[in-house]
Amino acid sequence: MDKKQVKKELTNLLGSKKVLTNEIDLMYYSYDSSFLTKLKPVPPTAVVFPKSTEDVQKVMAFAYNHEINVIPRGAGTGETGGCVAINDGIVLDLSTFDEIVEIDVSNMQVIVRPGIVHAQLNKELAKYNLFFPPDPGSSQMCTVGGMVANNASGLRAVKYGCTEQYVLGLEVVLPNGDVITTGGVKSKAIKNVSGLNLTKLMVGSEGILGVVTKIRLRCWPKPKARGIAMAVFDNLDDAPATVLEVYKAGILPSGIEILDSSAIEAVNQFKPDINLPNAEAILLFEVDGNPPSVEYEGTTIKEIAEKRARMVEWATDPKRMAELWEGRSVTAAAAARVRPDGSRIFAGEDISVPLSKVADTLRAIRKLGEKYGIKVVNYGHIGDGNVHTAPVINPENPEEVEKVKQLVHEIHLLAIEMEGTTTGEHGVGVVRREYAEVEHGLAHQYMKKIKNVFDPKGIMNPDKLI
Amino acid sequence: MDFRNIPPVKEQIMKCVRCGKCRSVCPVFAEIRNETAAPRGHVFMVQMLRDGVVEPNNEIYERLANCLMCETCSINCPSGIDIHELNAAARSYIYENNPSLGKELIFDTLWTKPGLLKTSTKLMWGAQKTGLQPLARRTGLTRLLPGDLGKAEQILSSVPARSARSQLKNKYKAQGEKKYTVGYFLGCGTDLLNPGVALATVDVLTRNGCEVIIPPETKCCGLPHIANGKLETARLLAIHNIKIFNMYDFDYIITDCASCSSALSRKNMEFLLGGLKIEDEAKLFADKVMDLTKFLIEIIDIKIPENGYNEKIKVTYHDPCHLANAQGIKSEPRELLKRIPGVTLIEMSDANRCCGGSGTYVLTHYDLSMKILDKKMDSIMETGAEKIATCCPSCIMQLKHGTKRHNYKSEVVHPIELISQAYNKPILKK
Ligand code: SF4
Ligand code: SF4
Repeated sequence: MDKKQVKKELTNLLGSKKVLTNEIDLMYYSYDSSFLTKLKPVPPTAVVFPKSTEDVQKVMAFAYNHEINVIPRGAGTGETGGCVAINDGIVLDLSTFDEIVEIDVSNMQVIVRPGIVHAQLNKELAKYNLFFPPDPGSSQMCTVGGMVANNASGLRAVKYGCTEQYVLGLEVVLPNGDVITTGGVKSKAIKNVSGLNLTKLMVGSEGILGVVTKIRLRCWPKPKARGIAMAVFDNLDDAPATVLEVYKAGILPSGIEILDSSAIEAVNQFKPDINLPNAEAILLFEVDGNPPSVEYEGTTIKEIAEKRARMVEWATDPKRMAELWEGRSVTAAAAARVRPDGSRIFAGEDISVPLSKVADTLRAIRKLGEKYGIKVVNYGHIGDGNVHTAPVINPENPEEVEKVKQLVHEIHLLAIEMEGTTTGEHGVGVVRREYAEVEHGLAHQYMKKIKNVFDPKGIMNPDKLI
Repeated sequence: MDFRNIPPVKEQIMKCVRCGKCRSVCPVFAEIRNETAAPRGHVFMVQMLRDGVVEPNNEIYERLANCLMCETCSINCPSGIDIHELNAAARSYIYENNPSLGKELIFDTLWTKPGLLKTSTKLMWGAQKTGLQPLARRTGLTRLLPGDLGKAEQILSSVPARSARSQLKNKYKAQGEKKYTVGYFLGCGTDLLNPGVALATVDVLTRNGCEVIIPPETKCCGLPHIANGKLETARLLAIHNIKIFNMYDFDYIITDCASCSSALSRKNMEFLLGGLKIEDEAKLFADKVMDLTKFLIEIIDIKIPENGYNEKIKVTYHDPCHLANAQGIKSEPRELLKRIPGVTLIEMSDANRCCGGSGTYVLTHYDLSMKILDKKMDSIMETGAEKIATCCPSCIMQLKHGTKRHNYKSEVVHPIELISQAYNKPILKK
C-alpha cells in the first residue's frame, strides 16, 4: 500500500484528530535521545495517537493486513533509536493514552495506561503514601509504558530493582490485533506462578512483541526517612572496595552513585556553587526506611567509608541532602561542560559490569578516551555496576563522529570482556543490536523464534533489540 | 546579521541531546501534547532550517510561533540551550526570507465589522504609539482569524484613555536628599495599558531619594519584535535606546516592566548585538539596567511606613516569565510585598507557570492561551487572595481577563501600586 493510502486509511480509522500525516509534522517524530537519530533522523509514514485499547487494535489489525511496520513510542526519551521508524512505518505515540485506571490502595496496586509519566504517577500515589520505586533519571518526562518496554531502573535499583519486579500483569495488543492479558485475566494476586510468565517476557521486549495498553503495577509504602552520605576518595579502587564492605556489613542502601574525576570536573564547571572536592572518585550513598534504621545505616556507612576516604559527610537535613544529591543529579547534564564547544552524546553510555570490575573498567574507558583523543565523563550506579559514560565531542565535526563511533564500539566490547553487558538499563534498540549474538550465543536464536511466534509477519518494531 | 552566525544558532544547536526535559515543563506542550509543540522539536526544526532541509516558509513559522517565549524550557535545559533565542532567531530568518508573510491581510473582514473595527482601532492606536504598526499589521491584526479577533477584543476592552506619558514630566527631583540619578525606562505596556503603575513608580522612586529622568525619546524595548520575527527592528530599537540612555549619567536605569528589564538585560543584549561594534556600549548600558523590584530591595532597601496602608489584605503573587525565568528575580517582588504593612502574601501553587498571555500570543492563539490561563486562575483562586500582584503589563492584562472570565473578584496590581498607596499620599499629577 502506498504511503498516501496508508495515511488516508488511518485517518478514516481513527479520525483526523488522532493522526498526523503532514510531512513537516512527521519530521518531529524522527528522533529520540540517541546519537544515532541525532546524526540521521528518520520520519515515519504517519503518527497516530491512540486513546483506547480499541484504537490500538484497529491500527494493529490494519497494519497486519497490509504488512506495515508499527513502532510504539512513549515520550521519546530513549537512547537507542527504539521508538523511531528507522525502516518506515506507523509510529504509535502512546503518551496521551495516560489515564490512571485504578489505584487499589488495599491491594497496593495501581493500574495505568502506558502514557502516564513516571513522576506524575508517583505524585498521585504519594497521596496514599505509596510509590512505584524504580527511579529513572528521566522521571519527569518518561512514560511508564516506556519503562516497561525497556525494563527501566535508575538510581534506586540497588535496593528496589528494576521495573520488572513491579509489573504484575499487562494488557498487550499483539501484531494480529489479538488482545492478551498476562499475569491472569482477572488476577489481582501479587504472587502468581500459574502458566508461563509472559509478563516477564513482555517487560523489556522493547515493543517487538506487541503494544502494551494497560499495566498492573505493584506499589510499595513510601519510606518515612532518608539520608545521604558522601565519601571522597583519592584512589579510584577504594570506591568499589567501600561499596563491597558496606554490603558485607549487611546494609542495602537505596542508591550508590559514583562520580569519577571527569564527572567532578564537569559538575564544578556547570554549577560552581556545588563545589565538589577534587578527587579521583566521589561516592554518594542514599539510605531510606524508618528513622532509626536510616540513622544506623548512615552512621555505619560513614564508619566504613572513613577507613579509605579522605572525607565523609552524613546528612539527614533535607537542605543539605538536596545539595549533596544535586551533584549527582546534574552530572548527566553537566557532562558537556568539560568542553565549551562540545556536546555529550548518548552512545556507549550504559554498560554494566560486575562490581569487582568497576574500577578496572573506569580506568580502561579513560585510556580508550585518551587513545581517541576524546574526553569521556564517567558516572553511574556503582551499586549495581552500571557505568554511564558520556563522550563529549562536537557532533557536527565528521572526523570526531567517526572517532567516537569507534570509541563507543570499543567500550561495548570492553563491557563484554569484563563479563558485563552493553546495556544495564537503557536497552538495545537499534544501537546495540550488533552485540546481541555475542552477548547471548544460542539463546539469541531462541529469542528470534519467540519473536516469530508473536509477530510472524515481522511488523512489530522490526530491526530492534534482537 | 546572518541567521547562522547568531551566537545560539552557531554554538548551541549541536548541544541538544533530545533528552526531553524541556518537553516536560513547556506550558504549550502540556496542552497540545504532540512533538510539534515540544521545545526540543523547535530546536530540531531550527536545525533543519539552518541546514537547509526545510525552507524558511510560513508552515515552519507557524509551528515555531506556537511558543510563549516564556523561557521555561531554557532555564530547565540541562545542556544550557537558550531555546527561546533559537526560536526567535529562526522566526526572524523566516520573516526576512519571506516578506510576503506580512501581506496576508484580512483587512477587508476587519473594517466591515464594527466590533472588530473598535478592537483594531485600539490595537492600531497602541501600535502607532509604540512604533509597532507594521508588526501589528502582520501579527496582532492581520494574521488573526476574525474569530480570534472577536475574542481578543475582550482582552483589550480596558485600554485607558490617557497614557502615562501624557501625565508625566520628563524629570522629577528626589524628595529629600538625592541618592541616585535614575533613568526610568517607561515601557509601552506600562505607558499605554497601566499608566497608574508609571505614576506609582515615579512616586516611590522620588520618595526614596531618586532623581527620576524619563528620556522622552525612549522607544519600545524590542521584545515584541523579537517574539514576532523582527530581530533587525529589535536591534535598531536597542541601539536607539542605548544611545539615548548613554547620553545621561545615570546611576541606574530602572523599569517596572519585567519584559523591558529582560529585553534590556545583558543576556539579551548579547543575543541581539553580540559580535557587533556596539556590543561594549550595549553592555555598559545593560549593566545599569535593573528591574524596579530588585532596585527597591537591593539598592534602596525600602522601608514602607506603618502609618500608610493599614487595611489587611491577602495578596498572591504571579511570577512573570520575563522576571523569574529570564532574570531569576523571584524573591525581590515577594519581599517587597511582605514589607507593605497589612499585606499577607499567600503563595499560589506553580506561581512561576506562564499565564499564557505573552504579549501577542493571546491574540494569535486565543483558545490555547485561555487553557493555559485557566490553569493559572485555578492556582490563584485556591489562594482566595483579594489582590493578585505581578510585575508585567502583559501578565496584568491576561490576569485581568482571567478574573473576569472566572468571575473572581480580585484586583490585579503591580506591587509598586500597593507601595505607593501605602505611602498614603495623593498620586503625582503633572
Ligand atoms: S532540554 Fe535541552 S538538551 Fe534536552 S531536549 Fe530540550 S533543548 Fe534538547
Ligand atoms: S519558551 Fe515556553 S512556550 Fe516556548 S517552547 Fe519554551 S517552554 Fe514552551
